[in-house]
Amino acid sequence: MSTVQQTTFLRESVAFPFCKGCGHHHYVHNLDRAFAALQLDPQKACIVSDIGCIGILDALFATPHTFHTTHGRSTAFATGVELADGILHDSKLKSVVVIGDGGATIGLLHVVNAALMNVDVTVLVANNMLYGMTGGQNSGFSPLEFVTPTTPEGNIVPPMDICAMVKSCGAEYVTRVSATDKNLAGVIADAIAHPGFALVEIVELCTEFAIGRNKIDGKVIQSMSSGYEPALLPTTFARKEFCEEYKEKVLGRPAKTKDDTITQKYISSLRGAKRWVIAGTAGEKVQLSSYLLMRAGILCGLHATQKNDNPVTQGSGFSLSEVVMSSGDIHYTGITVPDAVIIASAEGLKEVTVNGTFARCAPSTVIVMEDSLPELQSPARVYRVPMRSLCTPLRATTSAAAALLARENLLPREAMAESIRLHVGEKAALYEQDIEKLLPLLA
Amino acid sequence: MSTPRIRIRTGNQMVAEGALHAGCLFFAGYPITPASGIYKSMIEELPKRNGVAISSPDEISALAYCVGASARGAKAMTATSGPGWSLMVETVQYALMTELPVVIAVVQRLGPSTGGATQGAQGDVLLTEYCTSGAYTIPVFAPSTAAECFEVTTLATYWAEELRTPVVVLSDKEIGMMSEDVNIDALHAWPVHQRKSVPAGENGAYKTYDFASPADVPLFAPVGGEHKTTITGSAHDKRGALQKNSPETIAVLRHLQEKVTARAEEMAYVKTDDDPGADTLVVSFGITARTAKEAAAQARAKGRRVRLVNVISLFPVPETLLTAAAEGCSRVLVAEENMTGQYRSVIRHLFPGKSVEGINGFGAMITPDAILERIMA
Repeated sequence: MSTVQQTTFLRESVAFPFCKGCGHHHYVHNLDRAFAALQLDPQKACIVSDIGCIGILDALFATPHTFHTTHGRSTAFATGVELADGILHDSKLKSVVVIGDGGATIGLLHVVNAALMNVDVTVLVANNMLYGMTGGQNSGFSPLEFVTPTTPEGNIVPPMDICAMVKSCGAEYVTRVSATDKNLAGVIADAIAHPGFALVEIVELCTEFAIGRNKIDGKVIQSMSSGYEPALLPTTFARKEFCEEYKEKVLGRPAKTKDDTITQKYISSLRGAKRWVIAGTAGEKVQLSSYLLMRAGILCGLHATQKNDNPVTQGSGFSLSEVVMSSGDIHYTGITVPDAVIIASAEGLKEVTVNGTFARCAPSTVIVMEDSLPELQSPARVYRVPMRSLCTPLRATTSAAAALLARENLLPREAMAESIRLHVGEKAALYEQDIEKLLPLLA
Repeated sequence: MSTPRIRIRTGNQMVAEGALHAGCLFFAGYPITPASGIYKSMIEELPKRNGVAISSPDEISALAYCVGASARGAKAMTATSGPGWSLMVETVQYALMTELPVVIAVVQRLGPSTGGATQGAQGDVLLTEYCTSGAYTIPVFAPSTAAECFEVTTLATYWAEELRTPVVVLSDKEIGMMSEDVNIDALHAWPVHQRKSVPAGENGAYKTYDFASPADVPLFAPVGGEHKTTITGSAHDKRGALQKNSPETIAVLRHLQEKVTARAEEMAYVKTDDDPGADTLVVSFGITARTAKEAAAQARAKGRRVRLVNVISLFPVPETLLTAAAEGCSRVLVAEENMTGQYRSVIRHLFPGKSVEGINGFGAMITPDAILERIMA
């Protein structure tokens, strides 16, 4: 902590790099006065500056932290600083974003999102209505009819009203003032002191590119058309700052007690690898079937992998899952020739046809498919069973996989039963009944 | 020996677990298939550890939040895929320039553009590495299993903190989204490491980017701490003052590269499956390294002598290890799931006088047969 109260945070007798008459002079001095008025500990102040003429003001300051960022992104970096400060630390750091109208145009999302979150960031927009550093091009803040080097006939696009925009996002401290306003330092100080998002739009004139081309001066800035009316200072604040909200509502979430560790309980006779494909309709527990199969394999000390596939929308169309179980490490995780394919519905059949699984079936492959589906020509051994009606569509793939597993004698039947039981509890008995019904049909 | 404890995990989950093990306390995420599992795991886990896991409105914000948090002193990570990485590149460069550590997990999918969200690929090798003006070396580590996702993320965090630079974990859809059995008693983790900080009580003397030798890493001081920090992404001197091209500024810009290359040998990490009498070396990484293992086993069963290298540290290129691995081999096969042989183009100069051939796939995993055929040729 500094023991001596600073009256200025600026470097001693520093020369400002701005053009004569530029509003940035007012901006810098009043930001400095605001810091002093707040009696901020400079270690707890951070200037997060953007790109452009105003962005180089960081070099003018001696004592606060300065964080000179990329064009438009300053508010996002400041948000990151404040999230870490407010949640991982003591929440004492004040971040002030120094940004022009160009940066605010590029990084509008970051400003809007900081306002939505109500994170403790103060955004001071130096709005001189154009891009000064790069030659005076019009920005998203240029008023209608504004003449710039890139709008020689006058701007034909209306400017954005950033104050209205962030207000609509729930920002509570929002105001617009002229750079020459006598109370600018006070407004900035209030904005910084506000425990949440604050935005001050400081309207300026670019002496290099605006004056001369346009019939405007400092006196008319405040009454300019197209949304540059002065905004009223807020009087009430109802929102909680984001980090406070996060600490209260999200942090300290109880740790899950569920332990999903598996240790081997059974012995499998499998030597080498088995590669299974299970296909059906999305929402009918296809991927769960594969998971239970994989889990059963691991209960027997096998290695296992599972891959799922489904269309772009998750709840419609096909669902396809691939499981590899192996007594050794599984290196290649794909399936060239499947050992077993379970097809529970038309969507599943379509998908194994489209993705080539069906064409890769060999005489060694076993296919177990719903018997209402069309006949297939395949070198594989095909069992057609009424799995949907016997087991219900939701249990069809799991019961068919369990029955085939028992029929192939790959794992002790109890391993799959345990896997199922762990997931469905007492309903496991229904699966047992399904398996009993299916087994004779797989003979 | 006790029975191993197994958990079913995706590679994405293990990246998250690796990050948590390494002390990551800040994650900002934006959803994208196939990387979303990392985001989901971090959102679930970090608040339990009093960490910050937050949804950002886009990938640009996600990485900027992370870099801001890193400036405040937090170990930070985000995760994305090719389309999101494209948006992050500006901030990756910024993190490199400002020497703010951050880990970015890039789970590759099929490109270009939005490409195939659920199709695997290894097509972002050059995109992740060569994303900076000036082609600075970004450490890129590639896992090939869920267990390696854990290990590699602890390794990436180690080096991000040690070198104060952005580091990439380059995974892919197959590794990221596939579930597999993970023996949690056999996980390997790299030491938990924190960037070196400037000692207390040197206020006034601290320079944000100070170093004695170009390969030194500047001592860190957080924004909001007792030392005044001067962070900038523009060319700067050791104090962080914007400069055009003073000799000190050029030295700082060179130092950003030199601090990484000086540690290249230490970062080098490959897993070799040796056969001392091999005439063929197969170089691979990520998901394809697994397939290469299967192909090599089949080739050996047919009497072929083959050596395998699974490259974990893709960048900096582990030149010494790769050169040594090729000793005695007349052929080097580089297997990777992209069209043009991206990693092959980077390493082929290491093998003068040898036949360097690519085994490439696109749109689907390379099969063991495709690699076996080339080994046997």
